[in-house]
Amino acid sequence: MEDIQATVPCRDSQLKELFELLGDGDEPLPCSIFISGNMATGKSLCVNSVLQYLGFKHIEIDCVECYAPKIMYECIICELFEEDENIKCETMVDLFNSLKRIENTREPIVIVFDRAERLRTMDHSIISSFLRLREFCNLNICTIFITHLIYENFYFRMGVREPIRLYFPNYSKEELFKIIFLKQKSFTYHLLFNYEVEDEIKAELDKPELFANFLNAFLSVFYRPCRDLIELQHMARNNFVKYCEPIIRNEIQAQDLTKLWRHISPILKSSLELLYLRISDSKPQNPSPGKENAEHAGSFNFENILKEELTSTKTFAQSFELPYYAKYLLIAAYLASYNPPKEDKRLFMKNHGKQRKRMQQVKAKAKINEKLNTQLGPKVFTLDRLLAIFYAILEDKIGLTSNLLAQIATLVELKLIAGGKEIDLDAAKYKCIVGYDFIAAVAQTVGFNVRKYLYDFI
Amino acid sequence: MRELKKENYSAVQIKLVRKYLKLKIIEDNISFQRHNQERNHVYDLMKRTVVYGESHSALLIGPRGCGKTTLLNSVLHQLSKEVDLTNDAIIVKLDGLIHYDDKIALKSITAQMQLENAVGDRVFGTFAENLSFLLSCLQSGSDRRCRSMVFLLEQLDLFCHSGITQTLLYNLFDVTHSKSAPMCVIGITNRLDVMDLFEKRVKSRFSHRHIFMFPNETSENDTPSSPVDTCKCVLQQLLTMSTGVVNKISNSPKKRKKGSRKSIVNTEEQSQSDTDTESHSLPEEVLHRCQIDSQEFAELDPAFVEDWNTHIQMLVQDEKVIDVLEKLCYYTVNEQIFRNILFQLVCKLSIKKPYIDAADLISIIDNTVAPEQRVKLLQSLSILELSLVIAMKHGMDIFDGQPMNFEMILHRYTKFANIHSSTQSVPRPVILKAFEHLQALEIIMPVRTTDSLYATGDTTTSRVQKEYKLFTLAVPVEDIDEAVKGFKALPTEISHWYHNSVI
Repeated sequence: MEDIQATVPCRDSQLKELFELLGDGDEPLPCSIFISGNMATGKSLCVNSVLQYLGFKHIEIDCVECYAPKIMYECIICELFEEDENIKCETMVDLFNSLKRIENTREPIVIVFDRAERLRTMDHSIISSFLRLREFCNLNICTIFITHLIYENFYFRMGVREPIRLYFPNYSKEELFKIIFLKQKSFTYHLLFNYEVEDEIKAELDKPELFANFLNAFLSVFYRPCRDLIELQHMARNNFVKYCEPIIRNEIQAQDLTKLWRHISPILKSSLELLYLRISDSKPQNPSPGKENAEHAGSFNFENILKEELTSTKTFAQSFELPYYAKYLLIAAYLASYNPPKEDKRLFMKNHGKQRKRMQQVKAKAKINEKLNTQLGPKVFTLDRLLAIFYAILEDKIGLTSNLLAQIATLVELKLIAGGKEIDLDAAKYKCIVGYDFIAAVAQTVGFNVRKYLYDFI
Repeated sequence: MRELKKENYSAVQIKLVRKYLKLKIIEDNISFQRHNQERNHVYDLMKRTVVYGESHSALLIGPRGCGKTTLLNSVLHQLSKEVDLTNDAIIVKLDGLIHYDDKIALKSITAQMQLENAVGDRVFGTFAENLSFLLSCLQSGSDRRCRSMVFLLEQLDLFCHSGITQTLLYNLFDVTHSKSAPMCVIGITNRLDVMDLFEKRVKSRFSHRHIFMFPNETSENDTPSSPVDTCKCVLQQLLTMSTGVVNKISNSPKKRKKGSRKSIVNTEEQSQSDTDTESHSLPEEVLHRCQIDSQEFAELDPAFVEDWNTHIQMLVQDEKVIDVLEKLCYYTVNEQIFRNILFQLVCKLSIKKPYIDAADLISIIDNTVAPEQRVKLLQSLSILELSLVIAMKHGMDIFDGQPMNFEMILHRYTKFANIHSSTQSVPRPVILKAFEHLQALEIIMPVRTTDSLYATGDTTTSRVQKEYKLFTLAVPVEDIDEAVKGFKALPTEISHWYHNSVI
């Protein structure tokens, strides 16, 4: 028991409950257990380590891997009999027939279904059948379902046998601290692996106080937007390196906590933006704004380009390096998508006449600020309308050449505009699928004010 | 030294008690109490089929977990003692959950009738042909004597496919009217409207014999029993150790000798008296099925068992226990759930805790009937995710529950975040990630149920970008209320925002 508690920290009561439920090898197992809890709360880890410790025969089924019932049945049989031959098992009945073969043993068998939420989309009553598996075959068998959804999200058919339900709560801030702190060795190893460090500084870095201080600072920033242990560990690893950099360079003493905090807090803030995005920023560089960045891009390594591109829509937009007219076409597409067609006249024509503002309209606009076009998503437009807007916003007059039309095709290829598959130009419908930030960045390069032409902002 | 021995001794005792009770709760599907009238009815039907060769059909209807299957098992168990079931009758059990297909059902019937060899590679045109062949096989058996058939159809409602013809049911009920073989078809279901699911031709062939089972029914002595009383009764019955275990085993060799000499009728009588005197013991068959030697329990100390039983007696009379059982009955009368609760209770027995604690029972029942896992799930969200939920709730308040997309929620959230400069600003991609996390937890659901996160819908329909996909809140407002109230270390501005509503 103590051994397991050491490997699975902070889950004492859950482990105890599992141990109690599964009991000793010669006792009957419960019919089925349903375990739910948020992501990264140690559900699978607990179940697996308990089963390993007890030494029961257990089969783990990942419902993502076994996406079809047939694969799942065959997987179960394969592991149960430790056979690799061509096993054929099409239906539930076949599975039970195979299970009957081992009916004379009473050794406990546990089948664990990880990510059980996938079972819902499978064949009709597969969950209900597994829930009452014990009734169907004379075995000491138990099914455990692990999922991040709660029981109410499983809309069962009638006549289901209720499982015993367990809930895994999230780790609290203190527990997260404790768990990450346990991995201090690997953190410092990671650090030393990447940097050449003098021996006396190495001793400083190995001190747990330093790491504890770092973790405190780290969690104070990251605990708010993220409670996922896996993600937090990943971010902590990246940031610990940065935390220690000034110590390695002998700029800040390891004991000088306030200075270290001042050093790390802006870094933490900026890396908060990368949360969940998994963009490596191992070599920090000052992104040079503007076009030069894109030109030099070839000399940087790919990771950094990717990072910069993704961190700022602006640089991402510029990385496409669209031709002049293509930019205008894209802007026209955006305007066509986010403006109602009947306002086109007013927006784009010079002499559109005066429009009397009716009280009703003013009211309607003021009230529904949440139903703005920019929030409801892009609308479909025809090629005619796109070209009309294109010519309206473009100052110089150019002819409609095939080159221009090819640009549209390019934009569709680049997935900036979603287009229909039709070849017929008259019937083709398009939709602009880039966001406002992107368009604003593109418009800036050609000196165009998008806001002026958006109905929502007038 | 002696201390150690004593500890060891009680450890063994407790382990045995635990094992015995677990067996009783989980494995015992034969012992059956209450509902004597219904039981006799079913027993009568089956016996007439097996002994006199009559054909019958009946429906056993009752809510989930009220012991329908157990009733049948106990009837079969009793019959097997009285008549030679293995030679006189064939029992075919089908379950709507697994034998949903006629083909699969037929295959299973063939297997259960042990006629695989007879069928071989024969090809049949229709289901009826196949079934009549199977029945004729039975008659042309070696002894030329017809064996009766007992069909037990569990989850009968699942055999009533809508749209597809109910071939299996039709044929089975049809055979009960023909002379070919005596057959008893008993359907088990929890749907009261099962008759409406039948096809017209199926309905006309069914005998319309309904046997209803209701968990709260008054017992045959006309003493009205409340659900709490039944609960107490079950609790006592399941948790009481039989004093007989020890005694019976000590004189079992003698008894076995006697049994071999005596006629069948006598053993029946004896077993009858056995069950009368010790209704709390496990039937031998159950032990046998679990391949557990009853000698194992011989080590049980009678004094310890006596002690345990008085403890259970005390427990049942405990005020707190009665209260919590009342609460359970308020939610559910499902005996299966109650058995689960008792199982969890028994699991908690150990050397450190040799007796059942009323507090344990209370906490287990609370967890079972009102787990409020949704509130817990909401409380496990990060502050950012919770803010999004609140933003969405406000938005739905304003627009009368109309669905919202990510942009709208983001708009509300940024409005809030801008007012309170103290909240750390998070970039848009991170918020989008948090939003997707909510979607994965099914706290918010896409409006078109077909394209949920896991369904791989075709791309043409789900053309909308994810930012603009419409979502509704899938958790009730009360749960959010509850979650915000009990949230640990919730920043004040957020709870303020939640309660002061709409900016």
